[in-house]
Amino acid sequence: MSDTSSIEVQGLTKAYFGGVAPALRDATFRYEGAGAIGYLGPNGAGKTTTLKVLTGLLRPTHGRALLNGIDVTRSRKRALADVGSVIESPEPYPSQTVAEAIEMVGEFRGAPRGELGAEIARLSESLDLPPLDARCGALSKGQRQRVVLAASLVGDPRIVILDEPTTGLDPKERILIRNLLNQLKKDHLILMSSHLMQEVTEICDQVIFINQGQILLRDTVENVANRFRSRAVDVEFATPILVDKIRALGPAFTSATVVGERRFRLSFDGSIDARASLLRGLVTVGPVIGYQSASLALEDAYLALVAGGANGAPA
Amino acid sequence: MGQSVLPSDYAQWMIAARRQLRFYLRTWRFIGLLIFVLIIGVAGTALSIAYHDSGTSAANNFAGLTTGLSTLGIIICAFMGGDAIAMDFGSGTGYYLLVLPVRRRVLLLGRYAAAFLASFALILVLYAFGLFSTVWFYGIGRVPWFALGSSIGLAALFALAVISTAFLFSAFFRSPAVSMVVTILVLFLGFEILDGALSVTSVEPWFSLLYAGGALSLPFQPLPHKTVITGMGARMLTLTTWNPHLWEGAAIMIVYFVVGLVLSLVLYDYKESKG
Repeated sequence: MSDTSSIEVQGLTKAYFGGVAPALRDATFRYEGAGAIGYLGPNGAGKTTTLKVLTGLLRPTHGRALLNGIDVTRSRKRALADVGSVIESPEPYPSQTVAEAIEMVGEFRGAPRGELGAEIARLSESLDLPPLDARCGALSKGQRQRVVLAASLVGDPRIVILDEPTTGLDPKERILIRNLLNQLKKDHLILMSSHLMQEVTEICDQVIFINQGQILLRDTVENVANRFRSRAVDVEFATPILVDKIRALGPAFTSATVVGERRFRLSFDGSIDARASLLRGLVTVGPVIGYQSASLALEDAYLALVAGGANGAPA
Repeated sequence: MGQSVLPSDYAQWMIAARRQLRFYLRTWRFIGLLIFVLIIGVAGTALSIAYHDSGTSAANNFAGLTTGLSTLGIIICAFMGGDAIAMDFGSGTGYYLLVLPVRRRVLLLGRYAAAFLASFALILVLYAFGLFSTVWFYGIGRVPWFALGSSIGLAALFALAVISTAFLFSAFFRSPAVSMVVTILVLFLGFEILDGALSVTSVEPWFSLLYAGGALSLPFQPLPHKTVITGMGARMLTLTTWNPHLWEGAAIMIVYFVVGLVLSLVLYDYKESKG
């Protein structure tokens, strides 16, 4: 096993019903070191299938999944030795207390017994867990999600694999988990699937887009943001403005839509120059108090890629 | 946090067995079965006191009490093991456990040990009632200890066999509830119907687990291997009732235990968490 954490899939294919329903087709990627990778795609794209193969819940039809260089299918125990994961909706035994559920995972991972109590207390604080003596069967969905996330982190595994970790959580819980993952990614390798572009933008350094079982694009979040720059901005003025005044600005934008008497959505070619020029013109029309992309760059990328399939990816 | 060192398979088996046993002992099904066993034990003891025949021996007393033990044992073990594999593929438990660095067979063997201990504890309660009534009537000096030990040993083997079979059935279902109901119906009613049907054909039910369970009372009181009753009912049926030889009962139990457990382990290892 190497010292550097790594997640790798090589030509990974998973097909159901004798090969007629491929959920994953020839997926290949490799990441190592520390950082967070967002795994994006619509429902049924193959995200969870990939994560399930990586955690030994499914066997690949072809190809290999390796964690720290160890084949998960051939040596499950060794491959998962330094991996914490939350896939789908895990449920501890309902009669277990929160502490017991986390402690059990720590024991299986071989976490030093004398330090387990202190680690559970630390996780409890950072994830705002419900009382440690509460029964898991009596927890709300959000509470249970935080407990299983805590269990995935006990023993401090270097690789963390998360399947839509904040689904079903309230905003406060999402912020909590976002902050934790941002801390964690400094010295852990995190692979997380998500539908929430905002969340991926805030946490991840790299992204993988997948649709219909095929990986469409892999790059850094920054590069993707540059490639799929938003082609619309929302502008807000302090006072009501006539749309004709904005239209009189000329060719800096292609269309203007009235959202409210002080708010407009302006479409343009997406270039940095056009965006800057547009803002220069708008401040001459009235006092601008808001000027932002109409959508997240990742959202634009997601929509373009999903709509266009592999061809949606820019050159 | 100190460095984690992955425990050996044996150490993880111990963890799995301990944690699973704690889970079983807290479930309503265990508490319900304990109440059921206590009611049966109290009722059986009360009946044996009320209708005690002073001409019978201590061994006869035990033999009477263990006659229905195989049927009760099937109910108890099927309840404890009837959802053992389905629970990991039909609920979120599998997503919690199967992603851990533990071999699946180690997890299942831990669960198997826990199911056996919980079931056998309930079976021992029934033996305890038998011992109580025997000591009550005959005194502790008349207790047939060797026969009692042999019968308890066979009961342990019988529990292992039924739990193996229940585990195997549970591998074919996704819903834990459906798995448990079907397992109980097949093991409880299925074998009863099979043995009943075979009694009119004079075929020895050497493949029936319930038939093998008849061996539990043999250490106390030998029974004829084959009894033929003719002229039953209007159609003058000939019925053949069978009792296993002691070795035969034990052999059938061992086959069910080994085959059921091996197949369960293979299926659990290969089953995927789809959906």
